[in-house]
Amino acid sequence: MDFYLGLLQIIGVHTLLGLSAYVVLLTGQVSMAQAGFYAIGAYVAAMCTAMFGLHILPAIIVAGLVTAAIACVVGFPALRVKGLMLVVATLAFGEMVRLFFFNFSWQVERGGELIGPNSAEGFRAIRFFPENGWEIWHVTGFIWIVVAVVMGALWWIDNTRAGAVLRAVGHDETAAQSIGLNLTAVKVGAMTLGGLVAGMGGGIYAHTVTHIEHAVFGVLLATFAIAYPILGGLGSVFGTLIAVIFIQGFLVEGLRFLGDWRSLLFGALIVLAMNFRPTGLLGERMPRLFKRRGPDKLELKEAE
Amino acid sequence: MKFSTLMTASLLALAAGPAVAQDKTINIAGFGASSGVVGIFGQNSGAAMAAAVEKINAEGGVTLADGSQASLVTTYYDDRCNAEEGISVLRRIASTDALVAVGPTCSNVAEPLFGILQAKVDDAGDTGLQFPVFTDVAIKGGLAGISEWVFRNTPSESTMYDSLFAWIRETHPDAKTIYGGVEEDFAHSRFTWYEVMRKAAENHGFEVVGEAQWLLNDTNFSNQARGMRRAEPDVVAISAHPFTTCGMLREMARQRVEPKVLVGLTSSSSLETLTGCANEAEGIIIPTSFAPVNEGAQSAAAAVVANGGQLDLHSAAAWENIMILKDVIEAAGIEGTDASREEDRRKIRDGLAALTEAPGLLGMNKRMPDGEAVKPYVFVDAENGKWEVLHNPGS
Repeated sequence: MDFYLGLLQIIGVHTLLGLSAYVVLLTGQVSMAQAGFYAIGAYVAAMCTAMFGLHILPAIIVAGLVTAAIACVVGFPALRVKGLMLVVATLAFGEMVRLFFFNFSWQVERGGELIGPNSAEGFRAIRFFPENGWEIWHVTGFIWIVVAVVMGALWWIDNTRAGAVLRAVGHDETAAQSIGLNLTAVKVGAMTLGGLVAGMGGGIYAHTVTHIEHAVFGVLLATFAIAYPILGGLGSVFGTLIAVIFIQGFLVEGLRFLGDWRSLLFGALIVLAMNFRPTGLLGERMPRLFKRRGPDKLELKEAE
Repeated sequence: MKFSTLMTASLLALAAGPAVAQDKTINIAGFGASSGVVGIFGQNSGAAMAAAVEKINAEGGVTLADGSQASLVTTYYDDRCNAEEGISVLRRIASTDALVAVGPTCSNVAEPLFGILQAKVDDAGDTGLQFPVFTDVAIKGGLAGISEWVFRNTPSESTMYDSLFAWIRETHPDAKTIYGGVEEDFAHSRFTWYEVMRKAAENHGFEVVGEAQWLLNDTNFSNQARGMRRAEPDVVAISAHPFTTCGMLREMARQRVEPKVLVGLTSSSSLETLTGCANEAEGIIIPTSFAPVNEGAQSAAAAVVANGGQLDLHSAAAWENIMILKDVIEAAGIEGTDASREEDRRKIRDGLAALTEAPGLLGMNKRMPDGEAVKPYVFVDAENGKWEVLHNPGS
């Protein structure tokens, strides 16, 4: 049972990572900075609990807010570039963050031991959960409450004018600008929201693995982050969840017995999935089941 | 995928000599990187475990608390040298009937993995996983202190390199300077250069005249070799795994960097280095806790080759771990039933904790109170495409 609960934890934190990229993708921007935001959240939350004795809940909120603030600052210069240039710029930011933590050392003494980030050696003993009597199902429950809250909030946003604005910018920037939308504000807003979600996800991740180091937050993780919403489809937040279950639950865990062939099959299955479902597993439109009904439904309509 | 670690080496009734029919089995799980760049380490460990299990079963298996015999079985799980996957794999192993796990391969997996285990035994306030782990490969120093459920059979690199540089000082009195090359993004190689090799070299009077860094996936080493050539060091120490060690050695040969002494990382004293760059590696000196220098080591090496692997200092530890676990299982009075599983795991943990020394392939391995080991070692060098024992400090 512990194994399945552990797997649910992995799926939960990766869903948060994927959702952080989903928000930014809605505006048509491909951001490779999510791994960097995830790293910031991981280190900040870990410092809050391991170095300063905070509870996990305020710790991940602080991590989310700090990361959101950084994402906002990064968003202004980065989102002025488009397409491939944005990919390069956000990738460079992610590497910058990784290298920062590669060199970052700040330790305090707690219980006779030095605790904190120790540059290339990483950050050890982030043991809030076991040290405070949290059983594995407590941790899994906590993660999925956070995931549910974040998914619910994003789903709600998706069904409001804000969601329509994000999608409008994503579909056609020029048209969106012509109806008076402030592109920079929308894109930076999406980046900030993405940073908030990634920061919270990173904060939880650090506590589930108890040790973090710079190498974890590299290009591969950034690629996974962007792959989840693309593979799942941008129709709704549920696409990202489905993609995470597909990749982490089936490809990574389910095919573990295949050894070296797993990586090959992994790539092949993603290529196949993208060929048969080029708009993602759930497509670009929100499934009817999840659509909000009623007269106040907001849709983009052709101008008369 | 020829990897034989999907094997369930349940070698029932390989009845030889005194063996009796065995219905009971004791499961010892293995895990580590058996795919990816460092996959060869996990593949060799899996093969070594399978070979050791085969030998034990052929000799009658293990004796349980009630006097009955049980055969050993082992399954090897791949964690791809990924921390998150390593944790998931250990949770999976803990949910099976395995009584103990041998692994992991990578130090960057070991560190978080040990963190999810209960730190202090019987600490009711600590809900960490209570499952014994006996590490064979992940060699970065000091990790056993993270949890009292962790035991290691990895050699002490600080002891080995201190001895090596003392020996180099003695045998090459004219060598004054050293240049380090380090595979920067791998926990073991990075730790070994900065915390072990460099300090040992300085302690024995070598002046560090430069350092070159590269990454595990790098394929171009021209800048690093150029820096080395300019510094004209007497000794070059390469703290990297076989794949980039070979890349660096080839580039050094191309740029005619010819130090008086070439030192390598423990993990590179393997067949992969000789397969990849035997000519360029000629003369490289490496301390290792395994070499086929006696009958037992030679027979173990042959058995592992028969199982599709190679015996080196890492996989030799996997072989030794199985042999040590056999003794612990028999001494601890393991019952081997579903009902006694938790109790049996605890008995194995306590049995490993109580060991002060255990037989290894090169001699007696000392077990330290913190769960670490100090193992006998020799210095080997590459000669004509083979690893030859250059010096035995214990002799």
